[in-house]
Amino acid sequence: MTEDHQQLQEHVAAYALDSLEEPERARMEAHVGTCERCTSRLDEYRAVLGSLPIGLEPTEPPAEAWTAIRAAARRRRPARGGMERIIPTTWRWATWPLAVGLAAGMLAWNVWLLREISVRPPGPDVEALARRPGRLVILTGTGVRGASARLLVAVDGRHGHLAIAGVRPLPPGRTYQLWFVPASATPVTGGTFVVDAGGRAWVSIMVPISLDDAHVIAITEEPSSGSSAPTGDYLVEAHTWR
Amino acid sequence: MSDSGYRDRRPRAGTGLDEPADLDLLGRMRSGDEAALEVLYKRYAGLVFTLALRIVGDRELAREVLQDAFLRCWDGRETYDAGRGRVPWWLIGIARNRAIDLLRSRPHQARLREGGILPGNARTSDPSPWEAADAVGLRRAITSALENLPMAQRRAIELAYYGGRTQSEIASELGEPLGTVKSWTREGMERLRVSLWPLIDPKREE
Repeated sequence: MTEDHQQLQEHVAAYALDSLEEPERARMEAHVGTCERCTSRLDEYRAVLGSLPIGLEPTEPPAEAWTAIRAAARRRRPARGGMERIIPTTWRWATWPLAVGLAAGMLAWNVWLLREISVRPPGPDVEALARRPGRLVILTGTGVRGASARLLVAVDGRHGHLAIAGVRPLPPGRTYQLWFVPASATPVTGGTFVVDAGGRAWVSIMVPISLDDAHVIAITEEPSSGSSAPTGDYLVEAHTWR
Repeated sequence: MSDSGYRDRRPRAGTGLDEPADLDLLGRMRSGDEAALEVLYKRYAGLVFTLALRIVGDRELAREVLQDAFLRCWDGRETYDAGRGRVPWWLIGIARNRAIDLLRSRPHQARLREGGILPGNARTSDPSPWEAADAVGLRRAITSALENLPMAQRRAIELAYYGGRTQSEIASELGEPLGTVKSWTREGMERLRVSLWPLIDPKREE
């Protein structure tokens, strides 16, 4: 039994309850992927938690709930064949999974990088380019469970793309805003965006500061005109990246 | 569990002669079978709605959670992993996540909840019309397990599970050290696991 396991097994219950905070949460997330004992115990805790609502005073749902579900289900009928997900209209160009698309993007940037290195004279710029063939930041849903985002930053450190899923479409007058937070400094906006009816978006962005200077990258909900500083909790965020 | 009088008559969805299993229903839903969605809904909507109402404390919001949970299952935004447990626990997890998100994003609704409109936790002795008779025993076992927890442990677990609170938030709300709350959570969950896991272990059904 490793020292890491001895420390982390104390946190399995809180992790199962989604009440564990950073940095223990990130450590536990990494640990359960490698520890069969903790994974097994986690599954048991989650099953127990899943059964707790059975002990509640039962309340029958309103009849109109099924009416609404049936109507919406007919509009969102899954694709025949059983294995395809519903892809909103704005995403139908991307029939491959998002991960494949991102990998293709990374490959294209690497090709561009090689071309740039071959045409530029040797020096510090080329060395910097060679060390950083594009960067990927993975944001996880801390304020919105199940949400996630991927931020792809080109080798020039300024141009990028943000892909996000799992957040709710916002009402009129509200928007999502991307932030780059330097250590001990005011967050800098990366721009605002909206998601489609499926809670997804794919947007081009300009990265306002170097990722090396950013401490946190996060997304919040703001008024539609954007804010000069975050006014709400971080919904999706990242604290580490390569 | 002999002291609770519980017998192993857990609900086994789909084991009646004409009742499809939960996994069959999910597979048919992926193919666009609306009838399968309706069966799954009738089977678990009450449980999901009850949980949602417990968390958000408002019937309209709870209905929103209920609808969203089942539609996510229908259109594939949520995919079921058999290795993670039974289908109802998976549904419960989806609904809880959505309910907690609503709770966090709509603080005015949370104030409704804090105003005491929560449904009670105490079980009535009479099952509701939509409950299968053999689920009553499991419900009594769960209620008993919770009632047998020290109040501090139960409170810590319920604040986390139904309130979406972090360990630090629970410590602040209860006015207790973080380490104490962590101990309550760990010990309480372990007690619940020892009491309830033997009753709900999927492998016991085989």
